[in-house]
Amino acid sequence: MAEDKHGSPKGGAEGADGEAGSGSFLVGVLKEVDPREKRVAGTPASVERLLKMGLRVIVESGAGAGAGFEDAAYAEAGARVVPTAADVWGEADIVVKVRAPMEVPDSEEHEVDRVREGQRLISFLWPAQNKELVERLRARKATVLAMDAVPRITRAQKLDALSAMSNVAGYRAVVEAAYCYGRLLGGQVTAAGKVKPAQVFIVGAGVAGLAAIGAARSLGAQVKAFDTRPVVREQIESMGAQFVPFEFQGETGEGKGGYAKEVSDAYLAAEQQLIAEHCRGSDIVITTALIPGRKAPELITSGAVVGMRRGSVIVDLAAEQGGNCALTERDKTVERYGVLINGHTDLLSRMALQASELYANTVATLIEEILGKARVWQLNMQDEIQRGMLVVHDGELLWPPPSPTIRPGAPAPQKPSAPGGAHGAKPEAPSSPWPARIGMVAALLVLVPVGLFGQRELVQHMTVFLLACVVGWHVVWNVTPALHTPLMSVTNAISGIILIGGMLLSASGSVGVPVAAILGAVAVLLASINVAGGFLVTQRMLRMFQR
Amino acid sequence: MRISLINVAYLLASLLFVASLRGLSAQQTARQGNTRGALGMALAVAVTLGALLAPDPEGGAHAMRAIRPEGLGLLAGAIGVGCVVGAVLAARVAMTSMPELVAVLHSFVGAAAALVGLATEIDAVHGGMPPEVAHHTEIHLGVFIGAVTFTGSVVAFLKLRGTLGSKPLLLPARHALNALLVLGCFALAGLAFQEGGTSRVTFLLISTGVASVLGAHLVLAIGGGDMPVVVSLLNSYSGWAASAAGFMLGNDLLIVTGALVGSSGAILSYIMCKAMNRSIWNVVFGGFGEQSGAKPAGGAAGPAKAVNETNVEGAAELLLGAKSVIVVPGYGMAVAQAQHAVKEITSLLAQRAVKVRYAIHPVAGRLPGHMNVLLAEANVSYEIVKEMEEINEDFGGTDVVIVIGANDIVNPSALDDPSSLIYGMPVLEAWHAGKVIMLKRGMAAGYAGVDNPICYYDNTLMLFGDAKASVQKLLAALQARSEKTAA
Repeated sequence: MAEDKHGSPKGGAEGADGEAGSGSFLVGVLKEVDPREKRVAGTPASVERLLKMGLRVIVESGAGAGAGFEDAAYAEAGARVVPTAADVWGEADIVVKVRAPMEVPDSEEHEVDRVREGQRLISFLWPAQNKELVERLRARKATVLAMDAVPRITRAQKLDALSAMSNVAGYRAVVEAAYCYGRLLGGQVTAAGKVKPAQVFIVGAGVAGLAAIGAARSLGAQVKAFDTRPVVREQIESMGAQFVPFEFQGETGEGKGGYAKEVSDAYLAAEQQLIAEHCRGSDIVITTALIPGRKAPELITSGAVVGMRRGSVIVDLAAEQGGNCALTERDKTVERYGVLINGHTDLLSRMALQASELYANTVATLIEEILGKARVWQLNMQDEIQRGMLVVHDGELLWPPPSPTIRPGAPAPQKPSAPGGAHGAKPEAPSSPWPARIGMVAALLVLVPVGLFGQRELVQHMTVFLLACVVGWHVVWNVTPALHTPLMSVTNAISGIILIGGMLLSASGSVGVPVAAILGAVAVLLASINVAGGFLVTQRMLRMFQR
Repeated sequence: MRISLINVAYLLASLLFVASLRGLSAQQTARQGNTRGALGMALAVAVTLGALLAPDPEGGAHAMRAIRPEGLGLLAGAIGVGCVVGAVLAARVAMTSMPELVAVLHSFVGAAAALVGLATEIDAVHGGMPPEVAHHTEIHLGVFIGAVTFTGSVVAFLKLRGTLGSKPLLLPARHALNALLVLGCFALAGLAFQEGGTSRVTFLLISTGVASVLGAHLVLAIGGGDMPVVVSLLNSYSGWAASAAGFMLGNDLLIVTGALVGSSGAILSYIMCKAMNRSIWNVVFGGFGEQSGAKPAGGAAGPAKAVNETNVEGAAELLLGAKSVIVVPGYGMAVAQAQHAVKEITSLLAQRAVKVRYAIHPVAGRLPGHMNVLLAEANVSYEIVKEMEEINEDFGGTDVVIVIGANDIVNPSALDDPSSLIYGMPVLEAWHAGKVIMLKRGMAAGYAGVDNPICYYDNTLMLFGDAKASVQKLLAALQARSEKTAA
């Protein structure tokens, strides 16, 4: 096996960067330089996974301290603990991190400057917002995979670090809100008096919003949730919250890939008004509305905050992207018009242990995915996931990826049902061409002789008959399947129209014995059983159907 | 009455019938639809009566003859008796017996159409009118369809009632027999035309008899589980019979209405067939029981596999622990009349904040939409009763699925075992749920005679016993438990 410790920077040829063997590959886990970041990209458990893949791991001393992982635990798991970040940057083939490379506090240095040519970096990057950083990484001729760029497809779910993090953040947001709120969330009737449940309003029902609904519900609060994408209604309701619907001139907030999109000004104004209305009655508002690659939309205006009760709480999970509330201040809890507005961006660091475990798992899974069965570091450009996450490859800028075939998967694991609701599902008309073709031939076989030899009257009847068939065909396809039995009994009653035939005949029999008249009367008898029975039983049945 | 006035009234009645069917497209408008249909019928009868009492003197060939007083009495008596009988039937019928009622009503339409045809012919012969090709064909066709519908529906009725066994009667060379009978009717029609005179009636009567045999034989050859298709097919026939009567009497209202009903039945048959992944030919002529009787199942060649059995207590425990439950009802629920107890169970669960829904397969039961009617009778809100397409994706996120008296519609081999008889049929994918509780009498195969692998799945628990008894015991267990926790 060729020793290729530093990786050979080959030109950006399509496909692979084909280093041979990963046995020599060294994964480096860094301590985050941001002082408020407590998470870490590798845990003792993920180190073990990486070792099983045939990789070696070094960990910067103190990397897991914030999340509760001692150096000794890493050593026990089989990693080598190195004293400084410089050691990791200097030795590792693959560097894993949580936050995007940033200026090292209390020094002139920037983490980017430590990246070596050909080195691989896996971290959150936010390439759309951090163009300059991406450019610097490109200049360093590194290979960078952004954990925030995992395509939203089913296969990529186990790599979806954003969803994993949002889930934790949504839960934590409720905990923060409950702390700021300082009152019971659940309603109780006690001997000493009654406590009303807190009213919680969640804005944005992505993964974080849904997690927040679950957490708030389990604390006993009454929860309402708003989202511009109508398809998430079912998910909101499945979590036990009430859905706040919003419609605006046919525009929806549903963008590609199951994310929200930016909307028109008038739309936003209408949205703000609706949200303000619901904020007024809420004790806790949690906002989670983000649009990929953009500033967060301002959904709660200062007016809406003024309208809220004193002592209410807003937790703004979008604070990092500018905030959903006009009065949010980043990394602070401020009181405005008697409302506490929490804009902390380090909620995940407040849950550092589990957040790290989840993140480290997605990172390890990504590496496993890239190594493949052959255990060789080989980036597959055909793979939608790897291509989507690859921002810089050996100094070549590959972001944004060619528009991937994103299927509209909603954030939560359940698939969204097609809009249309309970009565939307109707059987589709048949697509096979054969019934139509056979029908054509049959129609010609009947119609041509009729046209050639028939009388005018017969042709008229034929016209009426065929048009009625067409009308019937179209009308009946619209019948909802749940009503098929009533449909049958109604058509039963209607086919009692043969009654008319019997009536007409009962007038006959002018000659001799009125056999025809008697037969006609019997037909009338039978048909009227049908008419009365059919309509009445339908009525009886339909009365049973209730909402 | 002027002939044009009559025709306008008929046109109005036709439009009301169309509006009636249109109304059934949604639950909210369904009752209105039914009222419109009744209105259309009342209008049609009233106008016809008016026309008979005071015929248009200038009506020419279309003129109706004035009815004689004794004829009027006969007519009034027939309508009166018919309405009373119909009303009693409608009020008395149990919802589980809807298929029988529908079948018997079809037979009446068929009989009426055949009688109208006969009477028309007798009338024509008495009136000394010479036969004419088009009219002659119309009469024979009308009587043929009417007779087939009549006997077919009677047999279907008897099968649904259980008077006749549900096993298909498979005579040797039955296709040849069917063809022979049809050809016989053709020949008789030709002979009648040639002979002319009173023998026309004789030949028509013989032809009626032959068509009756054909109708009975066709339905006898179809097994019990295919009844939804047969009933909707007969529904369609009854419409065509009415239409044919319209042709022979030159009455557009009959033609239009018959065509509406005919297409409706045709669509229902199509939907049912699609839900079973079989062609209409296969259902009508296939003799589905044939192969399956000989060879039980493709996948069940091995020794008896182990199933996980549970008892009422275990099932109650599971249901109370679940967050979401889907109920899959089948024909077994209808037979056991268990829908009320099932509803009690689900409302008890709903009170405990369990998300409960019902999943209805298109061919569950013996009539299209049968399960929906039964659940509606038990006061289940139609909002939680879901069609297969609506709910199939949700099984994965569901904790417990409870299958009551259904088998083939939850058979996974329809999707993954190409050797299975029902391969390709869309089914409710219940096995994706956390746990599946199957209420079943025993390990017998379903109607299709196909072994059901879902019974052997690890997440499937079998609760053996009569559906009604099991459901009631389950209800009692749930009630006991929830009282305990409430206290």
